[in-house]
Parts: sequence; structure tokens; C-alpha cells
Amino acid sequence: MVREFKLPDVGEGVAEGEIVRWLVEEGEEVSEDQPVAEVETDKAVVEVPSPVNGSVKEILAEEGEVVPVGNVIVTFEVEGEAGTESGEDEEPTESQEQVSEEPADIGGEPAITEADDDAGADAEPETPSGRVFAPPHVRRLARELGVEIGSVEGSGPSGRVTEGDVREAAESDDDEESKGPKQFDTELKSATRKRGEDREEGEAAEPADRERTLAAPATRKLAEDEGVDLNRVPATEERDGEAFVTPEAVREYAEAQREAQAADAEALAATGREGEREERDEREERVPYRGIRRTIGTQMANSKFTAPHVTHHDTAEVEGLVGARADLKARAEEQGTRLTYMPFVMKAIVAALQEYPELNASLDEEAGEIVRKNYYNVGIAVATDAGLMVPVVKNVDEKGLLQLAEEVEELAGKARDRSISREEMQGGTFTITNFGAIGGEYATPIINHPEVAILGLGELAERPVAENGEVKAAHTLPLSLSIDHRVVDGAEAAGFTNRVMEYLENPLLLLLD
Amino acid sequence: MVVGDIATGTDVLVIGAGPGGYVAAIRAGQLDLDVTLVEKDAYGGTCLNHGCIPSKALITATGVAHEAANAEEMGIHADPAVDMGGMVEWKDGVVDQLTGGVEKLCKANGVNLVEGRAEFADGNTARVAHGGEGQGSESIEFEHAVVATGSRPIEIPGFEFDGEHVLSSREALSLDSVPDSLVIVGGGYIGMELAGVFAKLGTDVTVVEMLDEALTGFSDDLAKPVIDNMEELGVEIRLGEAASEWHETGDGISVTTETEDGEETGHDCEKVLVAVGRQPVTDTLNLEAIGLEPDDGGFLATDDRARTDVGNVFAVGDVAGEPMLAHTGMAEGQVAAEVIAGEPAALDHQAIPAAVFTEPEIGTVGMTPEEAEEAGFEPAVGEMPFRASGRALTTGHTEGFVRIVADAESGFVLGGQIVGPEASELIAEIGLAIELGATLEDVAATIHTHPTLSEAVNEAAENALGHAIHTLNR
Repeated sequence: MVREFKLPDVGEGVAEGEIVRWLVEEGEEVSEDQPVAEVETDKAVVEVPSPVNGSVKEILAEEGEVVPVGNVIVTFEVEGEAGTESGEDEEPTESQEQVSEEPADIGGEPAITEADDDAGADAEPETPSGRVFAPPHVRRLARELGVEIGSVEGSGPSGRVTEGDVREAAESDDDEESKGPKQFDTELKSATRKRGEDREEGEAAEPADRERTLAAPATRKLAEDEGVDLNRVPATEERDGEAFVTPEAVREYAEAQREAQAADAEALAATGREGEREERDEREERVPYRGIRRTIGTQMANSKFTAPHVTHHDTAEVEGLVGARADLKARAEEQGTRLTYMPFVMKAIVAALQEYPELNASLDEEAGEIVRKNYYNVGIAVATDAGLMVPVVKNVDEKGLLQLAEEVEELAGKARDRSISREEMQGGTFTITNFGAIGGEYATPIINHPEVAILGLGELAERPVAENGEVKAAHTLPLSLSIDHRVVDGAEAAGFTNRVMEYLENPLLLLLD
Repeated sequence: MVVGDIATGTDVLVIGAGPGGYVAAIRAGQLDLDVTLVEKDAYGGTCLNHGCIPSKALITATGVAHEAANAEEMGIHADPAVDMGGMVEWKDGVVDQLTGGVEKLCKANGVNLVEGRAEFADGNTARVAHGGEGQGSESIEFEHAVVATGSRPIEIPGFEFDGEHVLSSREALSLDSVPDSLVIVGGGYIGMELAGVFAKLGTDVTVVEMLDEALTGFSDDLAKPVIDNMEELGVEIRLGEAASEWHETGDGISVTTETEDGEETGHDCEKVLVAVGRQPVTDTLNLEAIGLEPDDGGFLATDDRARTDVGNVFAVGDVAGEPMLAHTGMAEGQVAAEVIAGEPAALDHQAIPAAVFTEPEIGTVGMTPEEAEEAGFEPAVGEMPFRASGRALTTGHTEGFVRIVADAESGFVLGGQIVGPEASELIAEIGLAIELGATLEDVAATIHTHPTLSEAVNEAAENALGHAIHTLNR
């Protein structure tokens, strides 16, 4: 038996995913829970596991393709169950069709076997009187996405419109819009072409001109809805010597008219647009703005335009820190751990946060409450090839320097090779961004909303420092603290930064806690 | 605005706390809108106070008495004594519990409750006149208004409701004693439901209907089991007779009816109940002030978002036109609130169920076979008579049948008609099937509990597919 596998909703609110890589090939044997594909959503890259033991029958989405959640991406041939290909077996019963355990079957619709699919292609999805068969949640989704549900071709049993169909239609609408003047639904067009004979695209059917046309009342209504004059529709039958028009003929005629109009519009716009595109193609490269890049963009804009940012700058003189790290580094290495400055900074921040809890908080705007966190999960912004990712080190206050060093390294590595899970990037209470690792002194970090503060670290380097009227060279660490001024005031920001500096200048103080 | 009068501001003003209005108010409250709900009479509207709930309470209570008295076949011999006062008191308790519940729910969802009668002053202001002397009035400024003022029983000339001799359904549901004899004018569903109630209480009931059939709007095969049962209960149904006048006699009244040919008949009785339909209440709202005009029937035209022609004014429930059903009002109320809150809601329901609480009950949803054909489908029809249902036999009610209508080509369920025990409940399954785009196979392959009446729905679907087990296939 053939099992269809739909792209599951791999994360909260995720509407689509890009197939990054197929991990299996057609014909390959797979076992339940074996990863079959890597899918990049706007949150993370995840592996999608097989729901069954069997073999891969057909891969239906290409690598790089963006697929709406709910669309079938692969089919499996399941061993030990009745096959449907022979054509000799009975139609599967409803209970066989239902893939009850399959987490991906989010719509709860029965999976369709190939046999059903074929039947669906033969049976016209259009129904009399323009009735569309779609459950209420799909209708609502269509309204949400601005999709006219009547124009969506259903891929469900007997042409029922599914969530995936609507998402796909929304996607193709978006594409249409970005290309220029809105055209008519391509799905609808192809459905018509199956029936339409050898008509060239854009060529309108020759209109008939009669004075009297016979048709059923439902057909007349259809013509009215489609804005078609029945007397102009070529008649397919005769009744009592008069032309008789079927709903089929009305639809075909209406579609042909639309195609002709669209072709006209296309022809008008074509010349200028083509030239423009060619020129642009030579000098520009267009990269799709989606996936993690788009998520970063949305997050940044959301944070910047929601939280009034104020950035407080200062510089810590960190000879003490440099010395402490130098003392401990060799010991750490003996234990197989590379000790950077980051664990010290994390400990200093947590110690300061314990004194300034208003910076370890978030704003629940809906409830009108400031949520102070009595736990310390520190996010570390990591630059990756895909863009900025923020793994979170949990419960920093409960961990020692070595453990922190190991966790930071492990999480940063996972972020860079994109094997990090969504859970490992969630639950942060405060964020550090270390732009100094690349070079530079001060910046304005954007808060990792809905947190209320972020500390940016400049480059730890030797700089001139004045002391008792003398200028000397000393190691300094520039700090840039951005705060959400709705929740945190400047005085608190300065107080917090001063405490962080104190701990960085005298790391021994951390031992007092 | 009255000089010195300070208007209260609100996001949403809902006028009328019936099923349409209170649902709109609660939903709007849930969506964080500031809502003010104005009610002139009692929370819950006609449905809870004077319609669905009290009538169903009395239908159930009289049904219990009637069943007990007629259960010899089951070996039960009883002669129940009905205390009408006690029955009405119980019914009032049910009503109070529900109306109190509505009030609590409104408050819990942050709805501001205002008692009084509201009318529009201009496109953003309404005045609310409080009941009682010296109670004054207040102005409410609104962003959006939802008109949910419901409907009232229609009076016919010469039969003004007086609460003594000429009753509306509202008064009939509050009688403290059982009338010896009753003429019911109108053979629609309200008239027939109440005819059943009073016949079971021992009243001598005559139904006079101007048209040539009772229960118009329902096909003959659905109406027949009901009418047969009425006649068995002793109800006299007189078709083609219009009530023309009434007068007092020595020990009661006499209602005169007239046929089309002018033939007059006098019907002596204790009281006459007029149940010829309901009309929307839109004449108290001063709609001119906002430039809104009801149609000839008094209804407000609305679009699929429950909006009237005036952009910020919505209409839900009976005022928004047929079908005048509480559940339609509730659905409209919900949509109106969500649209106001900017949600993508719309009234795009595929079918609205309806139920008549006669004995046996009637439940309908979606298309009949004829309607399906008219719409261009090739209907596939399946039926299951209740006399073949094990559960129906054990309840002692085997009259009626379940019919399911689908599109033969795709199998999609398009409609259903049920007459028989619990038809009002059973019809919901077919409604769900229609709404979800389920096919006959889906319904047929869904395992139903045995022994239940719902198996008849499953069996009807099997019958439409030609492989019913418990009945002969068509």
C-alpha cells in the first residue's frame, strides 16, 4: 500500500519549509523514524523522520523547493499491506486509508492512495452551482490568506479542498502578484486544459451568437456568476432543434475568455519588461529573502520598532580578567576544555543580573505585566553562514566556568553546522553579542525581543589608559548595553554595567557568591 | 444629545441580549473589545425566556407524563397526575438558571450590561431609555453597533393578544392551569409543537390553518408521521380555514373561521392561541437616524460578514432575516464580533440545520433530493426506516426514517432529512458531514455505537451506496 507523507508542521506557526536535502532516494528502504529529509523552516533546520517501515516510492519535492505545510512531499510503499498498483485489489477501506499514527497528517484528512488519486483526476473537481467542498477551518484559512476558495482546486478525496491546497494557492497568488498584473489561477487553467481540446493558450473559443439558447437553471446561474452571455457560448448539444448549453461549455468558454484577456495583457506588458529584466540580470543577483534570513529580519524589525532602545557604553579595564584566564587556561586545557573569556563574562553578567533583576525580564504586553525571571538562561549570538543564530545556555548561575565553556562551544558549533534544535534556541532571559570577536569597539545591539536587555562586547585589546596622570597600555573591554527603555531606565543600565565591569576587573569577586 | 448628558464610550454596542446579541457581546469581550450590551427585558431573549427553552421544557415534561400513561405495552401501568403550576415552576427554574448563566458569562467576559431600550441618535450614538419612572436615559457612543433585537409574534386583525382569551406563544407557555379546550391558529412548527403539549395535557385542541397543508416547508413524507401522531392524540387539524373573528360566549369563546368559499365555522373553546409567525423588531430603533431602512418585511439586509448597508452597524439573529433560528443568530453574532475585531470571519456555512420538536421530531439540514437535483447534482439518496432500528424498537418509537442525500459522482453529502425519535439530535451528524465535505463512504465507514439511533444515519449512508446490511437496498 502507498502511504503519502505530508510536510508536517515542524514548529509553532510554521507555514512552509524549504527542502534542503533529501537523505533518501527513490526505491530506498527506510525504517520508521529514520530521517528522510532536511527541511529548513523560518525557525531552524530540522530532520523529518519517516512515519513507516517501507521503501521510498516517489519523491515529490525537489531540493531547494519551498513547500507549504500539509503538502505531500514523498510517498512510501509499505510492506506487508495490500498493494494498489495491481488494480486487482479491492478499493482500500476508509480505515486502511487513515494514517492514524502519522504525526504529519495534520489536517486529519485520510491519506489518499494512488488509486484514489487517479480517480480524483478523472472525476471533475468542479461541482454544480459553484459549490466548494472544504471544511470550515480550511475556509477560514483561505480568508486569512486572501484566497478565493472557489478558485482552489482540491487535492483531497473527490476534489475536497485541503489546507495544503489553500496554502499553495496563496503562494502562487503571491508569485503572480510579484510578477506583475494578477492573472487567473494557474491550477484552474491546467484543469481546464485537460478537457479543452487542442486550443492554443490565450486563444479564445470562437463565440457563438444566437438569439435563443436552452440551458438548465443551474447553468444559467453559472453563466451569470461567470459573467458570460449564454448566447455566445458554443453549444455542445441540441434539444428540440435548439442549441443546448451545458455547465461544462460555460466554464470552458469563460476560461477561454479569461485566458485571452490575460494573454492580451501579457503581450502588452511583455516587451518593456523583458528588456528590463535582462539588463537587471547582468548587474544584480537576486537571492530569495526567506528562511532564517527572513526570520532574523522580522525579529529585528519587531524588536527595534516595539522596544525603545537606549544603548549605554562603557569600557572595563580587564587586566584582572586577562590574568585570571591566563592562570586557568592551561588547567582547563589539561581537562580538554578551551577556556575563552566568554564564561567569565557570563558569570559576571549573571552576578550583576541578580542585583538588577529588572534586566533579566520580559514585558508581557498582553497581560500588562513585567515578567522577572528567577532563572538565568543566557543567549549567545553566533554568526553563521545562514545568518545570526542565538543558542541559549540554560541555568548559567548553576554551572562552573568549565561547563559553561564546553556548552558554549558545543552550542556554537551546532549553530554553525545548523544541527541545532529549536529547543536549544529558546527560553533565553538575557543575550550577549560578541561583535568584538570580529573586531570593533562599540555598536548598538538590537534586543532579542521580548527580553529587555542585550550586552554587546567589543574587542578585548590593549588600549591606552590614563592612570594617575600617566598614560599606560592596558587590556580593556568595550561594553555596549542596549535596554528596552519601557522597562529599564538609564540609571539601572549604568548600575548594571558598573557591576559587570567590577566583576570583570576583579574576577575574584565572583567567588564570593 | 441632551444638554449636560455625558455619553459613555464603547467599542461595540450590542442591542438585545438574545442568542445573537449575547454571543456577539461575549465573543467581542473575548477579543478584548470594550462591549456594552443593552437589554430591555431579560437576558437570553425570546429563545431562553419565551421560546425554545420554555417550550422544550414543557414538551419534555408533558412527554414524560404521556409516556408514563401510555406504556402498558412495556408493562407499565400508571396514571400520572399533572400539576400544571408545578410544571411551570420547574420550567421557570430552568429558564432562570440559563438566563442567570448568560448574565454571568457576559460579566465574566467583561461585557458592560445596561438595562433599557436603545435607539439610534446618529451614526455613532445611541440613547438608552431606562425602564420605570424617573429612571431617565443615557447616551452611548459606539464605534460599532450590533442590532440583535429579535422578533415578536405576529398579531392578526381581530385577534389582539390580551393574555386572557387570545394568547401568543409566550403567554401559552406561562399558563398556570390547563385549558379544557384550545384553538390554535397556525399549523406551522410553533403551532404544532404547542398542539402536542396541550393535547398531552388533556386539552381538546383544534388547529386551524389557512393553507392546504400543515407544517409547510417540510415535505409530505416528513410532515405525515407528525400529523398522524397529532390526530392520534386527538388534535383536530382543519386545513384551508382562516380565523376571522372571535367573541365571548357564556362559558368561553367562539372562534370563527372562514374557507376560501366563504363557508364559516364556529369553534367553541376556552382560549385561542395565535401562532402565525414572527416579525422582526426593527421599528423601535429609530433607524432613520443612521440612514438604514428595513425591507418590506422589516428585516435588515446583511452581507456575509453580518454587516448592514451602514458600515459600522451589524445585524444578527431574527432581524437579519430568515431563517429565524436561535442557532443562526448565534453564528451571526460570533461572526459580527470577529469581523469587528478584524478577524477573517464570514458566514459561509454550507447548511443550517432546523428541528421541529413535535412527536416524532423533524430534523433537516442541507438539500433535499429535489433541491440537489435543481442545483445541478445527480443525487444519491439513502434511507433507513426507524422500524428497522433496534434502538428505536426499544424506545417504543419506530415511526419515521433517516434520509441522506449526496452527490452521486463525488459522494459528497449534501443534505439530510430525519423524522423520528431524537431527529433534532441526529441531524447534527449529517450537518457535520456536510460542513466537513465528508462523503457517503466517510459516514458509512464511521463506526457508530450499537444499539443507538445514530446507527440509522450510518445505515442510510450504506443504503445510498447500495450495501446496507439491515434494510433492503434501493
